Amino acid sequence: MANISFRGVTKRWGAFVGVHELHLEVADQEFLVLLGPSGCGKTTTMRMVAGLEDPSEGEIWIGEDVVNDMSPRERDVAMVFQNYGLYPHMTVRDNIGYPLKVRGTPKAEAKAMIQAAAEKVELVPFLDRKPAALSGGQRQRVALARSLVRTPRVFLMDEPLSNLDAKLRVTMRAELKHLHHELRVTTIYVTHDQMEAMTLATRVAVMNKGIIQQLDAPEVIYNDPANLFVAGFIGSPSMNLVEGRLENGGFHAGLIAVPGVGGGNRENIVLGIRPEDVTVGAPGSGQFDMEVYTVELTGESILVTARAGKTQLTAHADRHFRCEIGERVGMSFDVARTYLFDAKSEERIRL
Amino acid sequence: MTDTPLPGTRPNTQDSSTPEQRRIRRLRRQRAMNTFEAAVMIVIIVLVLFPIGWMVATAFKSPAVVYQYTMWFEPTLENFRNIFSERWNIGKNILNSSIVAISVVIIATPLAVGAAYAFSRLMFPLKRTMFQWILLTQFIPAVAIVLPFYVMFRTLNLLDTYFALIIVNLSGVLPYAIWTIKGFIDAIPIEAEEAARIDGAGRFRVIWDIVVPMAWPGIMTAAIFCLILTWNEFLFGYLLTRQHAVPLPVGLISFVLERGTVWELVAATGIIITIPMFFFAMIIQRHFTKGMNLGAVR
Ligand SMILES: Nc1ncnc2c1ncn2[C@@H]1O[C@H](COP(=O)(O)OP(=O)(O)O)[C@@H](O)[C@H]1O
Ligand SMILES: [Mg+2]
Repeated sequence: MANISFRGVTKRWGAFVGVHELHLEVADQEFLVLLGPSGCGKTTTMRMVAGLEDPSEGEIWIGEDVVNDMSPRERDVAMVFQNYGLYPHMTVRDNIGYPLKVRGTPKAEAKAMIQAAAEKVELVPFLDRKPAALSGGQRQRVALARSLVRTPRVFLMDEPLSNLDAKLRVTMRAELKHLHHELRVTTIYVTHDQMEAMTLATRVAVMNKGIIQQLDAPEVIYNDPANLFVAGFIGSPSMNLVEGRLENGGFHAGLIAVPGVGGGNRENIVLGIRPEDVTVGAPGSGQFDMEVYTVELTGESILVTARAGKTQLTAHADRHFRCEIGERVGMSFDVARTYLFDAKSEERIRL
Repeated sequence: MTDTPLPGTRPNTQDSSTPEQRRIRRLRRQRAMNTFEAAVMIVIIVLVLFPIGWMVATAFKSPAVVYQYTMWFEPTLENFRNIFSERWNIGKNILNSSIVAISVVIIATPLAVGAAYAFSRLMFPLKRTMFQWILLTQFIPAVAIVLPFYVMFRTLNLLDTYFALIIVNLSGVLPYAIWTIKGFIDAIPIEAEEAARIDGAGRFRVIWDIVVPMAWPGIMTAAIFCLILTWNEFLFGYLLTRQHAVPLPVGLISFVLERGTVWELVAATGIIITIPMFFFAMIIQRHFTKGMNLGAVR
């Protein structure tokens, strides 16, 4: 059991900065999710913990140890690689059992542990195959089983469910959550899937361009985004972000005017509002009118995207709501659920 | 769909033939090509196989018919009996060549694996330069360095020893082996090695458990090539040995007598030299195709 601590960790390749002055405390037994777009430095962060990449600056602690100069073996972590990292010349059984073999676990004991790990990820029928004879999802499960076969100080999982089909992903997600509850091993989990982040995380660290944008519990990340990036990145469909200005507390952008959003006057602001906090109705019934651009039926609701001038908004409408493309509709904001950001600094404006 | 020729396309603009006619013409052209290819193949085969066939025939001829250009003769094993007799004692040369070739392979292969791994995966100063220099040694003609080697071994009092032959052959085959194996290691996905390190394997364990099995076809190929090169090596063997360590190809010289060359014995020895190499070449071929397949797995 161990906490992980990043103290001013920077990773540079020449002039390119992959991870910038990272300060992050992962508590013992925590399930921390690193969430961010592709190329934001998630894998790099993970690899530095594992010892596959040396930080250019700063210290990484696992438990009581500074691990900067430790070999991966001494760090005692298990990792699921984004592209599996399987041993193509070994059977699934030997792949899963390799960490045990290296550590000299007695044969009989190892056999039972391999079996248990394979059962967890539903791989038992494939134990005697080579990775080449498996599908992408099956390979990913081998990688997962190989990390679960022993109990390390830290689990590192780099998009471990990204190649599974939707159904298995949901099952495995639940399995991982239960497993973490059972084993209580400190885990850093990388994903670009918000749903995974929201369901699994104790805390979510939203990353962009090598910098943590916000570190909070999932519901806080969702309901109280710290800046424009987090606001736009979290939520699906993503938050409406409209550039405009404040005039006597009312928000103005092109043809839109919404009173009572904030206070005072201010130029260059961005207003954010989630689709579920926008209501659609008959023309004239809302704060302003727009023209329907597309209508998408998602099953449990209807997504209406509408435009007025250059401004475009998406709203979650009731699933019984009906409208046609090109029709005019009335829209209103739930002003209590709007967020304001500074267009230049992209930081949240709290009033 | 009609194929109206695009304006500006020169070939086929006046081609009013149906697709069927065109297909037949293409087939005909293909067949003509095949005849031509076959002819070239036959020429190559004759050029390559004729000397070998000649050698095989000669080896089984009795001295009386060696100089007759006939393929109709009574085959005899007399020449083979002869070369293994006390007089020529080719058995001793076979032993010498075997000891040298096997030692070279046993020493060169692990060294080459280590060096290839380092050049492929590790970072150290002057890596590129060193690798280039190692390859450059391959372009130095053996004749150019045989004299320094001769002087060196004479000074060390090592002329006519296995040791000298092993050293010179090692210097000859190692660059080649390193280069071949490095190519195979380069093709191994680095993730497998990283995964093994996280799973708890140290550097050597990673090489043994991951790199060696995955580069195995390349290692086998390199090892067998080393064996063949050493086995066939002539120049150094000729100049660095007298009687004790004379390797098999150099043994052929003893059939050059004042009264002329004993061709039937040369041919019989030639067969002895060739046969094992022939089998090794087949093994290489098998490993090579396996290597290709393995490369596709990921
Ligand atoms: N070895 C490397 N050399 C140079 N740049 C790298 C290297 N590894 C990763 N990067 C760069 O660092 C950035 C972060 O990469 P990564 O951590 O893999 O992102 P992700 O969040 O998608 O996992 C990317 O822009 C990537 O191109
Ligand atoms: Mg990544």
